Amino acid sequence: MTATAAAWRAFGLQWALYRHIWHGTVFSSVLLPILYMISIGIGVGSYIDSDATGGITYAEFIAPGLICSVAVMMLGNDMVYPVFGGYQEWGGAYLAQRATPLRPVDMLNGHLLYAVAFRPLTACTLVAVVLAFFGVYASAWAVLAVVASVLVSASIAPWLFAWCSSLKNDAMLNAVFRFAIMPITLFSGVFFPAEQMPGFLQPLVWVSPLWHGTELARAATAGVAPALPPAAHIAYLALLAVGGWFAARRVIVRRLSF
Amino acid sequence: MPLENEILVRARDLRKRYGDHEAVRGVDFEIQRGEAFGFLGANGAGKSTTMRMIGCVSEPSGGHLEVFDRDPHTDGPAIRARLGVVPQDNTLDTMLTVFENLTVYAGYFGIKRKEARAKAAELLEFVQLTARSGDQVNDLSGGMQRRLAIARSLINAPDLVILDEPTTGLDPQARHLVWERLFQLKQQGVSILLTTHYMDEAEQLCDRLVVMDEGRIIAQGSPRELIDTYVTKEVVELRFGGKHTTALAEIARGLDGIGGQIEPLPDRILVYTDDADDTAAALEAREIRPTSMLDRRATLEDVFLRLTGRALVEDEA
Repeated sequence: MTATAAAWRAFGLQWALYRHIWHGTVFSSVLLPILYMISIGIGVGSYIDSDATGGITYAEFIAPGLICSVAVMMLGNDMVYPVFGGYQEWGGAYLAQRATPLRPVDMLNGHLLYAVAFRPLTACTLVAVVLAFFGVYASAWAVLAVVASVLVSASIAPWLFAWCSSLKNDAMLNAVFRFAIMPITLFSGVFFPAEQMPGFLQPLVWVSPLWHGTELARAATAGVAPALPPAAHIAYLALLAVGGWFAARRVIVRRLSF
Repeated sequence: MPLENEILVRARDLRKRYGDHEAVRGVDFEIQRGEAFGFLGANGAGKSTTMRMIGCVSEPSGGHLEVFDRDPHTDGPAIRARLGVVPQDNTLDTMLTVFENLTVYAGYFGIKRKEARAKAAELLEFVQLTARSGDQVNDLSGGMQRRLAIARSLINAPDLVILDEPTTGLDPQARHLVWERLFQLKQQGVSILLTTHYMDEAEQLCDRLVVMDEGRIIAQGSPRELIDTYVTKEVVELRFGGKHTTALAEIARGLDGIGGQIEPLPDRILVYTDDADDTAAALEAREIRPTSMLDRRATLEDVFLRLTGRALVEDEA
């Protein structure tokens, strides 16, 4: 059995679970971006001069960030409680999988396949399609914004997996939302140019994967030159993804060795 | 083709250490194809740890272990592909339906969708859960959940089914239903390995068993052999009205020399003897008159009390 085949087998669980909740994701993938676009993109945007957003409309400015933010928000659903719960005696999926031919690394890969590939590729594509109706894209290259959202997801997901796998009780789970997902969403140049942030907060922006992803996505949707060469943004996200994968593998292997 | 007397599991001086604590202290045993093999012992005796090593989810700290002639260290996935495991906590997925719990699990073994569905339907029939197929797991009773976990463990037609305390926490009716299913599996020639601290369970289901205590095997054999070896043929149970614990211990001291071993329990005294009539006569001669006297055949529970009784008393002290 190859590692890829094993990851697909583990993915089977996520797929079965998704079939129970897919209708709920329609809200986050379709309705939420429409609401954001109407209230913030068009509503707030009517007060904002396009000079402040680099010569593009405010709606055009926030659209790429919205696509990538959806990827981050989904991780809050897919990689926090499901990962923590995977090790719990009251029904831990990883504990059940441990008795099968799957290795801990296969369980990790299967979960990532779902959270990093399947979820952004479906939901962020849907968001991107919905936003197209608001006329916020400069060209067909906008489709690459979905690839940027996958990269953002890949750079964060394994770290969430490692963190949630290392917790023995759920008291610290909310910290993920308070200290990771919320600040990442707010301070990544999604709703306003990152340069507007006070200087001492700038390093926070630079380390945020969502900022790197949004810069890439904005280049794709609006043709705006990103802050760094695209390769640098991609390299940063890839490095985080690979580092996170090794960290997550280390934690799950330890956690599932009895 | 399965070979007769084929050894499925072979352990020599098997050990497991957690920090300073040695949970398994050098155990030797072999499990043959087609047999129902039991690990009997109190909580903390090392049964579950031994099972986890056989299940290839726990790395032995020392000794030698082979499962299906393979080394768990290097061939864990290949070994687990041929095992069926019913963990103590079931680990069923509460977000999925009863049926999905089986088909998703089948997927882990690479069983194709169509085959998985057919197999799942057949197994639900076997554990009498067909009517609950579309229900959520949380809606099932404890006994039903355990039966579902048993069905799940059979999805890959395993060479060996491992059950960790299969009836712990179940009501008597549910226990009997589980026993019935396990007995049927046994009759179908499925090899079974189970841990339990219920003597009646071990006696009903196991062809051969080992008794574990503090990480060691202190006895092994068939239930009958263990009874013949470690206890007398008969046991006389004496009750003395409302007398309990200390009062009974006092009376027990006066029974010295009557029958074999004397074991005072909280509500009665057990006298191990080869001849109950002789024991009754000896009691009469000493003018010891219990309010009730029950003569019965020795059971595995007597073996267990005899072998580990002192350890349990020390635990409670």
